[in-house]
Amino acid sequence: MMNVATKTNNANRAALEASAQIDLLQIVSFRLGAEEFGLEILKVQEIIRAQDLTRVPNLPDFVEGVINLRGKVIPVIGLRRWFGLEQRPHDKYTRIIVVEARGTVLGFIVDSVSEVLRIPSNTVEPPPRIGKVERDYIAGVGRLDDRLLLLLNLDRLMTSSEILQCEVTEVAEA
Amino acid sequence: MNDDLANDPTLIREFVNEAQEGLQHLDEDLLSLEQSPDAREMLDRIFRTVHTIKGTAGFLGFDQLVTLSHAAEDVLNWLRKGESVATSVTVDALLASFDRMRVMVDDISREAIVQYNLDDLVAQLRELLSAATEPTGTSGPGPEAAAPVASEAPQVPEAGEPPTVAEASAASVPQPAPEAAPPAAAAVQRITNMRVEVSKLDELVNLVGELVLQRNRLAELNRQYSEGQLTGADFDSALGDAISRLSFVADELQGASLRTRMIPIDNVFRRFPRVVRDLAHQLGKEVNLEIHGEETELDKTVVEQMADPLVHLVRNSLDHGLEMPEEREAQGKPRTGTVTLDAAQKGDHIVITVSDDGRGIDAERVGKKILERGLVTQERLRTLSSHDILEFIFAPGFSTAETISNVSGRGVGLDVVRTNLKQLNGSVSVRTELGAGTVFTLQLPLTLAVIPVLLVRVAQETYALPLRSVAETVHANRSDVHDVDGTEVIRIGERVLPFCRLERLFGLKSSDHELMRVVILAIGDERIAVAVDRFLGQEQTVIKSLGSCLRHVPGIAGATIGGDGRVRLIVDPAGLLSLVQQQQIGTFEVAM
Repeated sequence: MMNVATKTNNANRAALEASAQIDLLQIVSFRLGAEEFGLEILKVQEIIRAQDLTRVPNLPDFVEGVINLRGKVIPVIGLRRWFGLEQRPHDKYTRIIVVEARGTVLGFIVDSVSEVLRIPSNTVEPPPRIGKVERDYIAGVGRLDDRLLLLLNLDRLMTSSEILQCEVTEVAEA
Repeated sequence: MNDDLANDPTLIREFVNEAQEGLQHLDEDLLSLEQSPDAREMLDRIFRTVHTIKGTAGFLGFDQLVTLSHAAEDVLNWLRKGESVATSVTVDALLASFDRMRVMVDDISREAIVQYNLDDLVAQLRELLSAATEPTGTSGPGPEAAAPVASEAPQVPEAGEPPTVAEASAASVPQPAPEAAPPAAAAVQRITNMRVEVSKLDELVNLVGELVLQRNRLAELNRQYSEGQLTGADFDSALGDAISRLSFVADELQGASLRTRMIPIDNVFRRFPRVVRDLAHQLGKEVNLEIHGEETELDKTVVEQMADPLVHLVRNSLDHGLEMPEEREAQGKPRTGTVTLDAAQKGDHIVITVSDDGRGIDAERVGKKILERGLVTQERLRTLSSHDILEFIFAPGFSTAETISNVSGRGVGLDVVRTNLKQLNGSVSVRTELGAGTVFTLQLPLTLAVIPVLLVRVAQETYALPLRSVAETVHANRSDVHDVDGTEVIRIGERVLPFCRLERLFGLKSSDHELMRVVILAIGDERIAVAVDRFLGQEQTVIKSLGSCLRHVPGIAGATIGGDGRVRLIVDPAGLLSLVQQQQIGTFEVAM
């Protein structure tokens, strides 16, 4: 009995160790138009249904507005607008992905959220040139069977949205 | 074991908190000690604080901090043994080392520990001791007895005497002074922790208990209703009762939680003895600082953000306001100038004044300056009253100082003060009398968190206008709006006011009504008329920030959550005014 138990433990540990060697990335996948994107799960705070937005005047148009997230006001960015894709009305699949990075909480509006995926980090390739979506904001391309996932570089996204914000203010104050 | 503990983040955080708090009081205590060198109690307290810091720093392995606090401790011990009294030389050296300790503790809190060069400070402290232990004959007590005088004019050694300590004083004073000045300004640090009286917390806990009871009551009503035990009028009245009790609890809870955020303004005021002392030395002026009303309580965020404006104003008073001692005597004033800081609560506002008995502000000179700077035209200047002219001292880029000193006079001071105050929903004004002095009056809301607002509907959106800026609401006809040189004005009664349409400023769909609803906003002495679609009523509202990346949206002060759970934007009247003004001079293009 003892032996069996120890063996199972050892087997488990071996499996764990093997999996630890190939880093598994946990990715929240979502859709924007025809493309499938991914965000590292650790950056995602929660995913909520689209709700009434309050528009904020005199901001770049990709800032679609602000929402009330349990008493906290957070800005929401339309990823379609941000990436220069054509607009479409919100529907029952539209979701807001709430992320936290660099101390800022932000929401991203996406067409739909699909699932949480595990992909081995060694299958992630550097970003190729991709049509409309700016290459800067893609950290890499993940491969899972025959699916391609564009992994977003959240830090880059956040930095450039901050920069835009500053420019807006400067114009206004000039 | 030591290593393990030294890496414990909790221990380090506790140490940082404790050390920062201790160091904050050190300056204050040390300066009182300088005033009354016999205050044994004070000396003991300083010694204990330094000793505690040294002990914990040693335990956690911050060796450099230990070295410095050890050297400071030696000097303090020497004072405690009564072998010397706290002269201004000693105090300077100690202040400089406390400043350095503060920097080191801050670095520890940011986990950015570097190697410091402590040799100069340690040498300076040691020098004090060695100078004292070397037999110096009668010259030893000489400069010490002259301490009060020396503290006022440290650069002038006693004539005819070549004492060693005075030499040290002459040599070391210019050194710590420039070094001490920046940290004193930088000491305006954010308080990230706060202490709250247990009674305030007890009150909160009680109210939360009450809140839970009311929730249970509502759940119970819901159950009774769905099971049909309670129907019709009975249910209505029971529900009404429950809701009114709940709103009572909510109001109380709001008040109680806001009270936990209130701290005495002493948290800012207590830095000033040090700021004033250093600055007075630097400028060679004699200054007496009076502080009143330091127990007045304000919201923590307000207190924190008041630090910068107050430092600006006090520096301004010392640099521009107060005259040199000789000049004062020549005018029959006492040699020592007085700067007074005063805080008091008036209604739901806090009024802070910074006053001095200096030379006052010369409106004529200000007028010349603004003409030179091109801030006004010659014709415009003639029409301005002296009060209007004085307002220009708050304009960006204005400075009357003939030369740029490193104290003030870069022309950034007063406009920063006004901007900071505006951000806090406050205001600053000035009153001055030539030859008699100047009073700056700061007015601040008691708390930033809750304000009464007027809700208005514009296009499909609801906006909240802070009630304190709403002068009146009127109905007007479209024919009252006139176009003057491309800018719109509105005639209301006998007055003609600049006019703007909120929907146009905010890029919303415009709706044209024959009969307009107009809110007149008062921002300082300026008025603007703002057209809206509907008035929705008044409300007490909790201000929330728009999030760190939307901090500066022109015309918007913040947000609040409406009864329907949606976010409502709070309009910033001052921002609105500048939007309108920018639109008039055509540098701001509204995207439409």
